[in-house]
This record gives sequence, C-alpha cells and structure tokens, in this order.
Amino acid sequence: MPWFLYLALKQLFPTGRKFPFFTAISMLGVALGVAVLVIVTSVMGGFGYEIRRMIVQTEGEVQVKGRGLIEDVGGLLATVRGTPGVAGATPYVEGPVGILAANRPAFPLMKGIDVSSVGTVANLSRFVRRGSLDDLDDDSVILSWETAQQLGASVGSRIAIYSPLLFEKLNQDEVFLPRQFRVAGWFEIGHQHLDNSLVFCTLRTAQDLYGLGQSVHGLNVRLQPGVDEITGATRLNQVLPNGVAALPWTQKWESFLWVLNLEKTINFFLLLFIVIIAAFSVMSSLLISVVRKTREIGLLGALGASRRDVALCFCAQAFIIGTAGTAVGLGLGFTALAFRKEIVRGIASALQRQDTLRQFYQFTELPSHTLMSDLILTVVMAIVISTLAGLLPAWRAARLKPVEALRSE
Amino acid sequence: MNDAVLTATGLTKTYVSGDRRIAVLRGVDLVVAPGESVAIRGESGSGKSTLLNLFSGLDAPDSGAIQWGAEPPAAARRAAYLGMVFQSFYLIPELDALQNVLMAARMIRPPGGGERARARDLLARVGLGERSGHLPAQLSGGERQRVAVARALMNSPRLLLADEPTGNLDEHTGDAVVELLLTLGRETGTALVLVTHNAAHAAKANRSLFLHDGVLR
Repeated sequence: MPWFLYLALKQLFPTGRKFPFFTAISMLGVALGVAVLVIVTSVMGGFGYEIRRMIVQTEGEVQVKGRGLIEDVGGLLATVRGTPGVAGATPYVEGPVGILAANRPAFPLMKGIDVSSVGTVANLSRFVRRGSLDDLDDDSVILSWETAQQLGASVGSRIAIYSPLLFEKLNQDEVFLPRQFRVAGWFEIGHQHLDNSLVFCTLRTAQDLYGLGQSVHGLNVRLQPGVDEITGATRLNQVLPNGVAALPWTQKWESFLWVLNLEKTINFFLLLFIVIIAAFSVMSSLLISVVRKTREIGLLGALGASRRDVALCFCAQAFIIGTAGTAVGLGLGFTALAFRKEIVRGIASALQRQDTLRQFYQFTELPSHTLMSDLILTVVMAIVISTLAGLLPAWRAARLKPVEALRSE
Repeated sequence: MNDAVLTATGLTKTYVSGDRRIAVLRGVDLVVAPGESVAIRGESGSGKSTLLNLFSGLDAPDSGAIQWGAEPPAAARRAAYLGMVFQSFYLIPELDALQNVLMAARMIRPPGGGERARARDLLARVGLGERSGHLPAQLSGGERQRVAVARALMNSPRLLLADEPTGNLDEHTGDAVVELLLTLGRETGTALVLVTHNAAHAAKANRSLFLHDGVLR
C-alpha cells in the first residue's frame, strides 16, 4: 500500500486511540445523505413497481383499442390470441356511471368484464375481499372498497346505477330509468386511484348500460412470460386490422409514469444536497486537519514525500470518508426500508392519522423497490462529491513548504 | 571530490523583513566526507537551521551550490540519501514507534519483511525494542527522540542532519541521544552534520565549526 493511503487510513482510523470526532461527524453526514437517498429512491421506485404490478395484474400488459367501437369482437379475439407471445385476451367496456345507494351518491368508473375470459388476463379474484367474483352476474356489481365506503354499501346491498345513456335519452324526451343491482362483493387492489372509484360488472351489463349492443371498447391482453410490452404490442400491431391498435401499458400510463419519474429525479437532486452539505463538513474537517498537522506535513516533505503524494493523502482521506459514509448510509437506508411499515405505522399511530394516511396515500402499504441503476448513481455521486471535497484541503497541504511547515507553531 | 557526501560552495541566503535585508549566510563552504561527523555551533538566529535546510534541499540558497555526492539535491532522492532529526521529534501521533520508523521506508516503497526486521533492529539499538508498539504519546521526550533517530537511519542514508536534537531534552538524556547519533553514525558509516548549542556535544564530533556573521569557521 502506498504511504499516502496507509497514512490516510491511520489518521482516520488510528489504532489504540479513540475514533476521531471530526471523522465521525463527516462520515455520519455522508451516511445520512446516502441513507435518505436510498430510502427515497427505493420508495419512489416502489411506487413505479407497484403501479406496474397492479396495472398488469388488472389490465394485462397491452390494450387493443379501436378508433371507435370494436364490433367484430370474436374475430379480433381470435386474431389476438393467435399472435405469438400472447397468453390471453379478454374484452372490456369502460366508462363513468352514477351510483345511488340510500341517497348517497358516487361517480366511479365502471368496468365491464367478460367473466369467462378475464381470468386469462387478470387475476381479479385475489383482490376481492368480500363476496366472490363467481357471484358476479348481470344483476350484480363488485365495488371498490372506497366506493363501498362512500355509498355505505355492503355485500347484499341494493344500489341504483345511472348510465350516461340517461342524458342521451332525456334529450330525446325519453325517460331511461336507472337499473337496480345487488352488491356481490368489494375489492381492494391497493392503489388509491383504482380503489377509490371503480366498479366491476359483467360485460353484458356494461354493454346494456352504454347501449353498445355486442360491441366493446377494447381488449386487455396478457403476454407470455419473457415477452415485454413493447415487443407484444409491436407483434400485435403487425396483425391487427386497420383502425385497431395495440398500446403497451407504459404508453397508456405514459404521463403518469413520466410524472412519477420526474418526482423521483427531482427528489434525488434535492436530497443530493444533503450529501453536498456533508461534503462541506468533510472539507472543513480536513482543512482543520491540515492546520493541526502542519508540522507533520512538513515532516513528510523532509522524509521525501512529493507534493503530489501529500495531496493524495488528503484526497484519499476524503475518498475513505465518502466510501465508509456511503457504506454506513447504505446499511442505515436498507435497515430503515426493512422496517418501513413499522416506522410509518408508528408515526401515523403517534399522530392519530392512520385514516388520513390511508385516504391520501397512493398505496395502503409503503412500497419499496430498489433499482440497481439508482443504487449505483447514489453510491457514485456520494463518493465522487466527498472525494471532490478533499481537493481544497489537499491543495492547501500540497502548497505548504516543508521548511515553513516545520517551523510553524 | 565526488567521494564527499555533502559539498557546499559559496552559499548565501538573505531574508527580507520589511525594508531590511538580513544576510544570514554570506558564503558558506563545507565538505563532509563519508562517515565524518561535523558539529556546527552558533548563537541563536545565526542561521544554523537555515544552513541545515539548505543542506537538506528543503530550501534553496540565493547563490552558491550544494551537492549530495556528485549530484545536486533532488526531492526524489531525499528519502534514500538523507536522514533528518529535529529538535521537536516530529513523530506521527497516530503511528506507533515501529510504524514511525517504517514511515521512512514507506517513502521509497511499501515495507516488506526485511524493512520490518531492520526497523525492529534499529529500535532495539536505540533501546526501545520493548516499546515498538507504543504510540508517541506513551513515550517520554528522550524515547521519542530515539525513535526519530531510528527513523532517520531506517533507509541507511549517506548523510544524517540533526538540528538541535537535544534542545527539548534534559542534559542527561541529551548526552545519551548525541552519543547514540555518533555511535550509530560510526557503525553505519553515515556522515553526520550536528547543529547544536552545546559545546560538549560539539566536541565529540570529528570537526566542530562555528557559524558567525554568516560565515562558517
């Protein structure tokens, strides 16, 4: 090991002596910055990961949509199911409706599903908390948990659904009465957007409420494992008839994903300032070290050290502080992530805000998914910034003339 | 003359203090032969330390020339050619006695088994064989200076420069350190230039010179 690295290590971690206070403070600063970065990027990454999981599990990876209604549903299903890489396809109808239950209104998105084929695309049963998907028929609906809460409805309750067709009929001086449905169950996907305002009904019910006849709005497509959504959509677009197109889920949710990514990027750069502030702490502690060790620096010159090696000794110290701080920060960050649920519950419980958290938080549980690219960026930035903080002290140390340094008091 | 360890010719050095120019050295000549010990005495402020800094290549003369053997001083050669002992010891507080001695070797290359054995041997010869694992803070002033002597000799230098090495020591310990420098110098064939106030210490060297009015006599 070259002497400057050996001395840097010995000055930071001296044997038989107490851990230097300034080193500990500098390292802790970097560690906290890295820990916060790891936690925030992992939680933000968790949002993206959870959203992907929920969308894919409820809608499949690809949606096939026409410019207007899709009339030849059977033909299109056959074409889609025969395309290489497709595991399953199911038709759907979706649109907003009004619901009234015991004078309590709600205006959720209604989704008509083909009960016989939806299982090939989405495993909706796993989200049904009360009742059963098997109980869904043309006279019943399954509400999201939030919608059920809003309506005060439970399994077996009666609700009235008003479709937009009502307004169309009113324009023609006709009366279109709302349809009565039984609540067959309620589901919870775990995403506030979906749980807040979604109702499942049969495809035929949705077609009736919207007056579509046998037509549908589109198909949800599930791909075989190993086939990504872009490849799947590209293959489908090669075989789909004119006027019908396949969209990967990432394109449908593009704006939302872009905002999510933007939030993550902004958070990363804002929180990087913690590391930058920690780097100033590294710089100031090393500058103090240069002043305190002026005569030792002079001695190194007398022993034959070059200015470059003296500078490298202080750069190495900054690098070691950055690296050790980053390692500690990774430990802290991943420990906090491991106990994130307990931490969030503890904070919410202490503030008596469990319900508020559930109401306004995107997910019922705090998600976490650490991307290797985020981790590498965090580690590299923390170490580079810390090492750069050593440049000024290194320059000051290298500029000292041994004769003057040895003479200093 | 190429056999000489140190050759100084016509060294001058002037310091500027405000409007005043203080000529500290006014043409110093000195030749030190291999294994020779030379003591330099002088009053405080006479320029003894300045002269030693010029000899070590840490400072440059205004005029005149210095040669280490046949070549001028160079920072890259300092670790191997020179050993230095200072009044204030200048041990690195984070390193134990053995590692302080090995620090001189590290300046040339990472120490191996041979260097470690030599460092232990040197510490034993200065009477600190049992204290090689002690930090400077755990050693007395005399012990610290003996560690500094061992460090100065670690790379088997051709020239040892000692700048008032007894200045911070009591008389008895100072005598022992000077004796150690002279003995080890003789044993290892290392030339010694010893700057001191002490006439008795100077008298033990092969030559004793006096720096007065910027000239060495």
